[in-house]
Amino acid sequence: MKATAGAGWLAAAIALSHSYEVHAQTIEDGHLLAAHELRTGLSYTHDSWDEYWEGARKRVNGNIGTVTTRTASFNAAYGLTDKLDLFAIVPYVRTHASQGVLHDMEGFQDLTLAAKLQVLDKPFTAAGSLRAFGVVGGAVPLSDYTPDFMPLSIGSASERIFGRLTAHFAATRGWFVTGTTAYTWRDNVRLDRSSYFTQNRLFLTNEVDLPNVFDYALTAGYSNASLMASLSWSEQRTRGGGDIRRQDMPFVSNDMDLSRVSVGLEYALPALPNLRLQLGYAYTLDGRNVGQASTATMGATYRFDFDGGSEP
Amino acid sequence: MSLRILAAVMIALSISGCGGGVQSQEPLRAFAPADLDANAGTWQMIVLTGPTQFSVPPPAPVTDASYQAELASIRASQAQMTSAQLDSIREWSGGAVLRWNQILRELVARADLPPAPRGDGSIPAPDPNNPFAEPNFPFANPPYAARAYSYVAVAQYEALKVAWYYKYLYRRPAPAKVDGSIRAVGPVTDLPAYPAEDAVISGVTAELLKLLFPTGVEQITLAAGEERQAALLAGKASSSDIAAGLALGQAVAQMFISRASADGMRGAAGSAPLWKALEDAAIARGETPWKSLETPVRPPMLPFFGKVQTWMMTSADIAAERPAPPPSTSSAQMAAELAEVRSAVDNITRDQLATVHKWADGVSTPTPPGHWDAIAVPYISAAHYSEVRAARALALLNMAMHDAAVGCWDTKFAYFNPRPSQLDPRVQTLVGLPNFPSYESGHSTFSAAAAAVLSHLFPDGSADFAAQRDEAALSRLYGGIHYRSDIDVGKQHGERIAGYTLRFAQHDGAE
Repeated sequence: MKATAGAGWLAAAIALSHSYEVHAQTIEDGHLLAAHELRTGLSYTHDSWDEYWEGARKRVNGNIGTVTTRTASFNAAYGLTDKLDLFAIVPYVRTHASQGVLHDMEGFQDLTLAAKLQVLDKPFTAAGSLRAFGVVGGAVPLSDYTPDFMPLSIGSASERIFGRLTAHFAATRGWFVTGTTAYTWRDNVRLDRSSYFTQNRLFLTNEVDLPNVFDYALTAGYSNASLMASLSWSEQRTRGGGDIRRQDMPFVSNDMDLSRVSVGLEYALPALPNLRLQLGYAYTLDGRNVGQASTATMGATYRFDFDGGSEP
Repeated sequence: MSLRILAAVMIALSISGCGGGVQSQEPLRAFAPADLDANAGTWQMIVLTGPTQFSVPPPAPVTDASYQAELASIRASQAQMTSAQLDSIREWSGGAVLRWNQILRELVARADLPPAPRGDGSIPAPDPNNPFAEPNFPFANPPYAARAYSYVAVAQYEALKVAWYYKYLYRRPAPAKVDGSIRAVGPVTDLPAYPAEDAVISGVTAELLKLLFPTGVEQITLAAGEERQAALLAGKASSSDIAAGLALGQAVAQMFISRASADGMRGAAGSAPLWKALEDAAIARGETPWKSLETPVRPPMLPFFGKVQTWMMTSADIAAERPAPPPSTSSAQMAAELAEVRSAVDNITRDQLATVHKWADGVSTPTPPGHWDAIAVPYISAAHYSEVRAARALALLNMAMHDAAVGCWDTKFAYFNPRPSQLDPRVQTLVGLPNFPSYESGHSTFSAAAAAVLSHLFPDGSADFAAQRDEAALSRLYGGIHYRSDIDVGKQHGERIAGYTLRFAQHDGAE
């Protein structure tokens, strides 16, 4: 059983392309841990952009320059049974603008918890097998950070729940294809101010209705006992929200859409098969109300087996 | 089987209704005024010389066939009233002056965007003769907004005093009081209906707003029409009450439109040679001059707004009230104040950050004067004021804030003092850095003027107003954009400026 890190953990950076909606290392992929197997790890993500989409208009902004988001995450995955994995992720985020006077923001962002259940596993012709997974999870802010300092806020500060469906086809010689889609419901957030303007209206309240988010991704790759390589294409669609107006600041409920390609590489050292190293890179091809981000990630996970060490 | 469980979970999640719509936290509930203020026609005028400066012809007697036909038309309309019309009546019966203030704040927030730089780095100026072109006209920055709020409030107040004079001269009751078959939908009082106050307010407000926010013409005219329709359907006013009120409101508006065209606003932006002269003058005084920290460099915001006409002060008063100079940019005191700003930002607490963002009032907001109007509205609403007294409250408040804006801008550009981040680039700000000189703080000046007027009108709220004033003022230090002397001096200045409005209020016949 491989605890691979597919394109999923590259999805760590969404929305103004910093770690706004962090997902787990393996929440999105087509693999499972063995029962009573624990994988914990740390990852570091460096995300930056200097061009962004103001609505549909692409621009640079001399008063922010390049916006960089650095994220250090702790993640853990545990195989409760052979068919059910549990996940937890805790990111610490720091943002910085290279120009202008705006202050950096940093802090613990959102705790994500999820459960992934294999709902289908059957041989599919002689060429391979088909698996399907359902995931439910949620996220909750870990600190009282403000979502009202975009693009430097460290997140949306919203409580969220999501449902995800994943289909994974594994060919006999290590090639695989994964398709995954999720819908995220986002609770209202409260600002520190008593009114805000978005979608052509002045709202006389501190409460903001955040639109829900739909995303999907297709991944193709190869894996064997020590190596996994993948190429992904992913899309995020926010189901509502307003555009950033001309020369306005971004706002937490903006309609943030993006298309992205990413590559991922995972390697297990022959001498230390329980340790796996991950490298990834993602690039935003197109978007709306987000930065055109380049995102590099590196990470390591370590496997503990509480059943006494069957081969990983 | 497991798929079915999953589907059930998904459905449960979607039903649990994560998120959803939001409710206004500033509802205007229908009320009947506690006092009709029958003598408001005698209250002192501000711009007008007296109520008879505008004539309103006598109405037809209620027994007249033409008036009876108007009543029949109201009856017919009431018989087929839609729920949207009922909602509209409800929306306007919380006080038309207050409802228009909410609409005005939305117009300001929508227009509160600085022009985007062109490709070559130059900054275009909004063109009042081509308001829909990019950049839209206006850029409703704080001085522009302060002036706009005050024009609307003062014009409404003056027009309503004229209306009250004629109401009690002619004493024609509201349709629902004349004829028992006409329903009073919502509160209908014994206030004489001719000329209709809702029509007066709709006329004077719409004409002024079309001048001040030309791109809002559709929203403005629809709201004005809705207000008049609501008055008619509610049984408050007949079509002749409304026609007379609308004509009066529009006529009063013309007087304010003339004033606005010659109040100095046109010259407030200045020009490159004039901006250079401000910088040279600061250098000649031996000071470090303010400079824009934006990229590309942006001209200062309305550097000659300090010369715009005030309501309760003369230009000599503005000059006399100008505070003494700030600490020299090379002084030990300035160094100490700069260190205090840096320390405040670096040691910010979450509560302080909340204060900074509560009072950010930056782009896409109603600006600080609109923020204070929002603070005032629940007090005015709870006081169950007549329309004319509600208009008086907003006029006093917004006159004081406009005069404070003029005094503050006069001071800012007299001294041309740099922001903390200019003197020490290590000062990162927790709020957008305003593109104009530091001394004195606009928030402090506005807030002290506003708190003084509101404390006079609502003494029970004075502790609240003082707390909000101090919070607004200090938020600019926490945010890294103002020194302590900007704040202390701004508060004192704002309070002195409010004194001019309060001296008027104490003797205008309304108290």
